[in-house]
Amino acid sequence: MNVKQIRGASGRSWTTRRDDKAARLSKVAEIAEGRILPTDRIVEAMEKLISAGDRVVLEGNNQKQASFLSASLAQINPDHVNKLHMIMSSISRPEHLDIFEKGIAERLDFSYAGPQSLRISQMIEDGKLVVGAIHTYLELYGRLFIDLIPNVALVAADKADINGNLYTGPNTEDTPAIIEATAFKDGIVIVQVNELVDELPRVDIPGSWVDFIVVAEKPYQLEALFTRDPRNITELQILMGMMAIRGIYERHNVQSLNHGIGFNTAAIELLLPTYGEQLGLRGKICKHWALNPHPTLIPAIESGWVESIHSFGGEVGMERYISQRPDVFFTGSDGSLRSNRAFCQVAGQYAVDMFIGSSLQIDKDGNSSTVKSGRLTGFGGAPNMGHDPRGRRHATDAWLDMITTDDLLARGKKLVVQMVETHLSGNAPVFVESLDAIDVGRKAGLPEAPVMIYGDDVTHVVTEEGVAYLYKAESLDERREAIAAVAGVTPIGRNQNPRVTEKLRQEGLVALPEDLGIRRTDAKRTLLAAKSVEELVEWSGGLYEPPAKFRSW
Amino acid sequence: MAVAFLFPGQGSQQTGMLHELPMHPAVSRTLEEASELLKTDILSMDTEGKLRSTAAAQISLLTASVATARALQEEGATPDMVAGHSVGAFGAAVIAGVLEFEEALTLVKKRGEYMEQAFPDNYGMGVVLGLSQPELSSVLKNNNADDSVYIANINSPDQIVLAGQIKALEQAFELVLKNRARKAFLLNVSVPSHCSLLQPVTVKLAALLEAIPLREPDIPYAGNRTARPLRNAKAIREDLALSLSNPVRWHDATSVLFELGARLFIEMPPGQVLTDLAAKEFQGARSLSISVNGLKTAAILIEQEKAKL
Repeated sequence: MNVKQIRGASGRSWTTRRDDKAARLSKVAEIAEGRILPTDRIVEAMEKLISAGDRVVLEGNNQKQASFLSASLAQINPDHVNKLHMIMSSISRPEHLDIFEKGIAERLDFSYAGPQSLRISQMIEDGKLVVGAIHTYLELYGRLFIDLIPNVALVAADKADINGNLYTGPNTEDTPAIIEATAFKDGIVIVQVNELVDELPRVDIPGSWVDFIVVAEKPYQLEALFTRDPRNITELQILMGMMAIRGIYERHNVQSLNHGIGFNTAAIELLLPTYGEQLGLRGKICKHWALNPHPTLIPAIESGWVESIHSFGGEVGMERYISQRPDVFFTGSDGSLRSNRAFCQVAGQYAVDMFIGSSLQIDKDGNSSTVKSGRLTGFGGAPNMGHDPRGRRHATDAWLDMITTDDLLARGKKLVVQMVETHLSGNAPVFVESLDAIDVGRKAGLPEAPVMIYGDDVTHVVTEEGVAYLYKAESLDERREAIAAVAGVTPIGRNQNPRVTEKLRQEGLVALPEDLGIRRTDAKRTLLAAKSVEELVEWSGGLYEPPAKFRSW
Repeated sequence: MAVAFLFPGQGSQQTGMLHELPMHPAVSRTLEEASELLKTDILSMDTEGKLRSTAAAQISLLTASVATARALQEEGATPDMVAGHSVGAFGAAVIAGVLEFEEALTLVKKRGEYMEQAFPDNYGMGVVLGLSQPELSSVLKNNNADDSVYIANINSPDQIVLAGQIKALEQAFELVLKNRARKAFLLNVSVPSHCSLLQPVTVKLAALLEAIPLREPDIPYAGNRTARPLRNAKAIREDLALSLSNPVRWHDATSVLFELGARLFIEMPPGQVLTDLAAKEFQGARSLSISVNGLKTAAILIEQEKAKL
């Protein structure tokens, strides 16, 4: 057979997805007015636009949630639409799992499930949902373009015009990645908006990528997730922050970085303008950030530490402040923040010197996890940033500093820092013999234990005891000893031989506060550039407008 | 967001508890119903002496909690979900619409009597503070103590109740205190509930429950045994029977309610044991007890909570 014969014989249609989409769109012709679906007929419209077995990507991360569309999806009739394969960054709202309990969906690929971590574990155990995989954000976005291409996308925006152009404001977040994967593969894009307007402040998503707009009953859910009240920062965290600045940031000349969400790193942000200034480090370190707009970074921005910040998402209350600091933040022509989770994750993975974050459990090898006692929390983006990206090829001082051999082909390393107190509140040890994640992973039938950050990626561990320079360890044993040396009176630290710790200090694998020129008694709350949310507002010149729950004055 | 009603179990009973219930027509009516069915004045049951009996304590707990929940309901302050600790589960089942109060009262009376008959003395329960369940289990297992004492309640990540013979419990306390437990002491309970020793009582209770017609719940009920949100009568009935021979997974049961959206936990009288547990575990939620705060405050807060997004 020649080529012509083969082509003739196959009789294959090359437009099945396009034809299918056209057929679905025609089913809602009598409901929709142009691109607009009426609010009170959204459930009916979804029943016509979504087919059994579809891959449906539902927008929701730890900040913005397409809450009207998720609540509507939970109301559709499982006799008509069922066996959906849901793809979701975050399982956050009760109805995200209700759709599985009701039999509307059966398969799930996701990234993070913190707020529903017990229920999701129970439902996996009971066979009520089948998990494809738990991803990091970047893997999940990546697979939207490879083998998890959506049939339908349900997303949220602030405003739309009647042509379907979208304004996502400060909370653009996942929206472009999700819509791109759907719109350009003949999927159907349905967007809930807070309001329909004649003219948008700016266009974040062009209308030709969007099929339908529905005005939501209530504005989409938005959490102020990255606001840390400085009142709750302890002197132990301040001590750890001083050690990190002195023993890591300064020592390795860290120029660009990502901070985790905890009070530990919030302490560092508030120490830069005080302790960092005393060390003469302004303008020398911490200039470029991949970071959500943390309110605790305001004093460092105001005192000239920060040159640029690219953000995953917005932060409630920071909008006006950001719009007045366009040299620092990425903003649109309307003046408001432009965030983009996918790009910021890429930046945090490949383009920064250092990731520093906290964890709930760390084992003797430095593997860490936020999974505890039967709760499957998932990953989010921390593993994207908290690992050594071996494809990276550009060198920086900090990167090169991790080289410990004379090998001509030696490569640098990203700094991955774990910063933890040796015990959680309630006295549970952070350093443990074995991660709870192993048991939880086994119960859920996962092919791998859900480890957040692998020990072999971790270059430093900071605790209230000191800093362990793991990248210098020449063997696994030495690595374990260095971890044990800073693990305090936990199952990992309590049997550490003081003589071994002494040897590690001599060799520079471990530094105690005094080795860094830090007196424990100097770690006082008076060192914080702001000691309350009120003082953050002052630093911002009144531009930061904290949500009510953070106001105490 | 959602409102959860919590129903306390044995240990929460207090002298005078029925006399101290809020004044409300629904409360008086429920007390009358109970007296009629029991053929005795229920208000004579909450003396110190009478409450020493397991059956009297459990009957009083059921009556107090259902009476108060009904009063709230009549004020328009309805729950979106319920959970009850141990015998409290029967009150939760009544308010979920699965059992009639009269049915629950008959069941609880029998339950109490069976429990008293099963273990006359030298058995009991004790609490261990400061160890997690996996830690506690491994301490018991490594010392071959896990076949004489049983994990009976997991009330919070570091508050666990054991059941067994008093002597075995005292030996277990010595062990756990040597292994970093913060505190361990006996509770004033004479029956080793929520472990396999109660298997025979479970069988009898299941037979009684079988005879009652199935009524589907109006709202989710968090199970003691599985800590799952239960949404059908069969599963709830199974939980009411089997919970006596299985640990009460209270921490998980209330965590599930939190994940389902509960941001206001209201504990029925008497006491505030469950309120304190919830307040400690769920910092994003508000917890209060009717015993401390009264009906009116609760009704107002319930209305406010339901109006929130």
